[in-house]
Amino acid sequence: MSARRLESGGRIDRTTPISFTWDDKSLSGFRGDTLASALMANNQRVLGRSFKYHRPRGIMSAGVEESGAIVTIGRGNRTDPNIKATMQELYDGLEARGQNAWPNVRRDIGAVSGLFSRFFSAGFYYKTFMGLPPFEWGRGTGLWMQYEKLIRKAAGMGAASREADPDCYDHAHGFCDVLVVGAGPAGLNAAVTAAEAGRDVLLVEQDFELGGDFLNQPGPEAETRRLSLIAAAEKAGVQIMTRTTAFGLYDNGTAGLLERVSDHLPAPAAHQPRQRFWTVRAGATILATGALERSVAFGNNDRPGVMTVSAARTYLNRYGILPGERIVVATNNDSAHVTSDELAMAGAQVVLADARSDVARRDRISVRSGVAPLQVLGGASVSGVKLAQHRDGAWRRAETESCDLLLVSGGWSPVVNLLSHRGAKPVWNAENACFLPGPTDEAVFAAGSAAGIWNVDACEASGIAVTKTAFGESATLPEPGGWQAPIKPLYEVRLPDTKPKAFVDPQHDVTSVDVRLAHQEGFVSVEHMKRYTTLGMATDQGKMGNIIGLALMAEALGKDIPEVGTTRFRPPYTPVAIGALAGRNVQGHFKPLRRTPLHDWKLKEGAIMTDAGLWHRPWYFARSGETITEAYIREATTVRETVGICDVSSLGKIAVQGPDAGEFLNRIYVNGFGKLAIGKARYGIMLRDDGMVMDDGTTWRLADNDFLMTTTTTNAGKVMVWLEELLQTRWPDLRVHVTSVSDQWGGAAVAGPQSRAVIADCLEGAAIISDEALPFMGVASARLKGDIPCLIARISFSGELAYEVYVPAGYGVAMMDLLWGAAEPVGGCLYGLEALGALRIEKGHVTGAELDGRMTLDDAGLGKMASSKKPFIGNVLRQRPELTRADRPQLVGIFPKDRSQAFNGGALLSVPGEDTGHGEGWVTAVTHSPALGHWIGLGYIVGGHAAWAGKPVIATDPVRKGDVEVEIVSPHMYDPKGERMYG
Amino acid sequence: MDKSLSALNGMKTPDAPVGATIMLEDVFPFSLHQIAAWPDTMAKAGAVAAKQIGCASAPDPGHAMIGSAGALLRVEPLKWWLISPDPDVAPPKIADTQGAALDLSHSRTWIRVSGDKSETLLNHFLPLDLRDGAFPPGSVASTAFHHVGITLWREEAGYSLLVPRSFAVSLWELLVETATQYGIAVR
Repeated sequence: MSARRLESGGRIDRTTPISFTWDDKSLSGFRGDTLASALMANNQRVLGRSFKYHRPRGIMSAGVEESGAIVTIGRGNRTDPNIKATMQELYDGLEARGQNAWPNVRRDIGAVSGLFSRFFSAGFYYKTFMGLPPFEWGRGTGLWMQYEKLIRKAAGMGAASREADPDCYDHAHGFCDVLVVGAGPAGLNAAVTAAEAGRDVLLVEQDFELGGDFLNQPGPEAETRRLSLIAAAEKAGVQIMTRTTAFGLYDNGTAGLLERVSDHLPAPAAHQPRQRFWTVRAGATILATGALERSVAFGNNDRPGVMTVSAARTYLNRYGILPGERIVVATNNDSAHVTSDELAMAGAQVVLADARSDVARRDRISVRSGVAPLQVLGGASVSGVKLAQHRDGAWRRAETESCDLLLVSGGWSPVVNLLSHRGAKPVWNAENACFLPGPTDEAVFAAGSAAGIWNVDACEASGIAVTKTAFGESATLPEPGGWQAPIKPLYEVRLPDTKPKAFVDPQHDVTSVDVRLAHQEGFVSVEHMKRYTTLGMATDQGKMGNIIGLALMAEALGKDIPEVGTTRFRPPYTPVAIGALAGRNVQGHFKPLRRTPLHDWKLKEGAIMTDAGLWHRPWYFARSGETITEAYIREATTVRETVGICDVSSLGKIAVQGPDAGEFLNRIYVNGFGKLAIGKARYGIMLRDDGMVMDDGTTWRLADNDFLMTTTTTNAGKVMVWLEELLQTRWPDLRVHVTSVSDQWGGAAVAGPQSRAVIADCLEGAAIISDEALPFMGVASARLKGDIPCLIARISFSGELAYEVYVPAGYGVAMMDLLWGAAEPVGGCLYGLEALGALRIEKGHVTGAELDGRMTLDDAGLGKMASSKKPFIGNVLRQRPELTRADRPQLVGIFPKDRSQAFNGGALLSVPGEDTGHGEGWVTAVTHSPALGHWIGLGYIVGGHAAWAGKPVIATDPVRKGDVEVEIVSPHMYDPKGERMYG
Repeated sequence: MDKSLSALNGMKTPDAPVGATIMLEDVFPFSLHQIAAWPDTMAKAGAVAAKQIGCASAPDPGHAMIGSAGALLRVEPLKWWLISPDPDVAPPKIADTQGAALDLSHSRTWIRVSGDKSETLLNHFLPLDLRDGAFPPGSVASTAFHHVGITLWREEAGYSLLVPRSFAVSLWELLVETATQYGIAVR
């Protein structure tokens, strides 16, 4: 191929030259070029290496179906591999390079693999799983584990950067009455028709210019028509999005769009995303997605210098490039004729090789009737083509034509992909040798050449008629077709009993031989054939080779194409970057972060935060030079000896209101709440329907019909949903409303012997917190200094005299200023989750680690809480035989035999010497106990404390710490009588 | 009341470029009360709510009404929210037999979004049809913003987002980051 930019013509802006590099070589193009057109204008022929055989590849098309010019652009963290050069808009400073080759695509060492291509046929990779004969034939994969790396290194495409993506991506939702996909002759007319009828219209076009096939036509008429349609669309209020691909259609008129906001720039402008991922809901969708010209399978049909006829027309008329000097145009249909004329007019020597007989002569063109390309001559470029004639039921060798460019048109395939996404099965149209869009009950309509209409005027009419039909108006739809002479179906050209390197799907190096091999090996369903050969998989999605592959399979089966069927296209139509899928849900916004009202205050006081679900909660408050262990031991000790303050705002809080609130609580908790006095709190446990423990917490009675339920932080949402479900589906007769007030209140636990004094110091009236006024489990409304309203409950998770103080969230900081102002002078501390855990383990209080969804009330040692005087959820199924077995695991405390030793959470509890399987139990939580002076743990073991008291047990932890001999003790390891919390 | 802080207290304000097309406002302080009805007391509870806010009648689901003392939003079939920029609005009272009242003033952060690109910004996150015909002023919806359930209310002057206070900073950051490409001013 000897391509050159013509002195004039094309749509490029010749006043704006653009510099770019190709394999570090500086080249230039013009604004309006694609990377492919600019490379072609610079006569760059070999632009890629094939996936498997490392065959040289050049430009094969001018659009999304490109299978040869697949390159890498950008550098460093903006490296973007596997870019189709035909779709990449040229910009100043663009850096592009070849991929899957060493040292470069022009001289690639990997091409040696082509010598062994007969071994790399369809299914080659799968067959390697059976082992390397004769060493391990059919028995294993030991060697495979080694040479598989070589296979993977040799095959493939570009490599992504391992650096973090520096760009941001947006998600967006759009709504319209009519979505028109494709802004060619049909799409523009559809959009104008719909908008002028008063509809809200969104028109999307993957190209950076509107017009579709108008852009490929010479002369002013097409441009005038294009501009008038665009003006009409703008006047009618059509919302137009260029550089936007509709990559998938989904339920209820939903379309996925990818808008390439900044891909035509060296880097996104300030604050601009690189791409936007759109979810568009449309009342109706009109697919004016056009048609793709397909090739024919013949020898060396992948050589640089072989491309589709329509691509040559695009490069000639849109980009002002004459792609070759001596051109053979091989076709089986009329569409190639006009291009032949235009190429000849532009100065090329053109031979028109039409597979049909009796083709009329054309000016300036040498016409050959009844011939088709048999084999391309040349390596990295085309030097000629051997032609063949079909005689006596077989192809026979004919003359050889010298040329530097071979253009091929094997027919056209309407882009039915998006309709196929909706399950509409394409219908074979023998007259036009293509699949047409299948029927669908959905409001999705195909127009223009997507509906098999080849004539531009008819496409315009189709766009109008289809739109009217979509609105329920009567309209005459143009019939598919439009050529003067019928197409001659042509999928493969080869001499009898030969196996040429004829590519069906060049992107995946699938040849006609591969398709036949799949048939021979029993993969006769098109879906099986696709997967065995990889034909039409991945980014190609059948754009280039599907029809040829189906035709070859049909021939092998002795069937017609409709009988063989076609594979179902799947989204995305073209690749979607993972960054676009992620949008802004990355890094700190990967998930929404919940902050308590005290968040910033705690950070200011030196909190080291940790994730607790969506929350950030203080892990510990490190003093200078302290380790986490030193910090939490200090904090827990301070709570036991003086006072500590801990943010408990993240606990779930649910307002339970209504005349039946007490009855409702009675039904969901295992223990009674109906008679709970106003101003009192009670610890409650709720079960699931199946009898397993679901959650626990205290519930406070604020008024006769007004309760405040607290849940664990983890289960707050789950409990809220559960309560709503119960009220709406099981007990709609109950007059109860539940409302999440988790965010309404900011709370702090104040624990330790000095807690009462600290809170008293913060109150407007200290009497309310006296032992008499606020006994254990009492609740009171009060005012903190500064007239800040608050609720105080005397409850304890630490086992010490303790209170929880809640204020409306906006006062959270003011509350902490007060509390800390009173606690710090008396030697108090702020404490985090690590100390909280130590304190509760010492007391044997359970949390999510123990109540993990597998445990019953009795397992957790809480069976006595269950009321026998009322029904409650889970009460029946918790009494199933399996859940009442004596050998179920029971909650226990754990000490190391040697008190200087530590052991790990998650370790299994076993009899020494019998540490197999799941053992006898497991450790749920461990801590160094400041109160006891050694490591302790909680866990479950079959039979519980009574069964194991005094018996040897090991905490076995083979992959971390090894075995530690332990003692099983009561879970209430500190202050077992609970005297301290009464002050 | 000066000791009460917005969840967005201390958030950095981005530069306001000339020609900002989006205005973000942290409305604080404010009052927000809920009135919930029982299935057979809808009319009575609605009347209580309407009287409290000073409007003729209580709005239907998905709608809001403006009254002399604020606005009344129908946020659930059985629930209204009474919202006012006045933080000292007296809590509504309703008999237990007719419904339940609840103070939610500190549970939400009130973010007001206005400007030409309001819908564009919001539709980066909200899967709602915000076109005039589908969501005219006076509309209310419960929707999802980055996985977080929020209440959206459209007024003549723009949109109000009532977001759970604990998520307010996270969602505010997303709004600001995304709005910056269109030009943003913060009040």
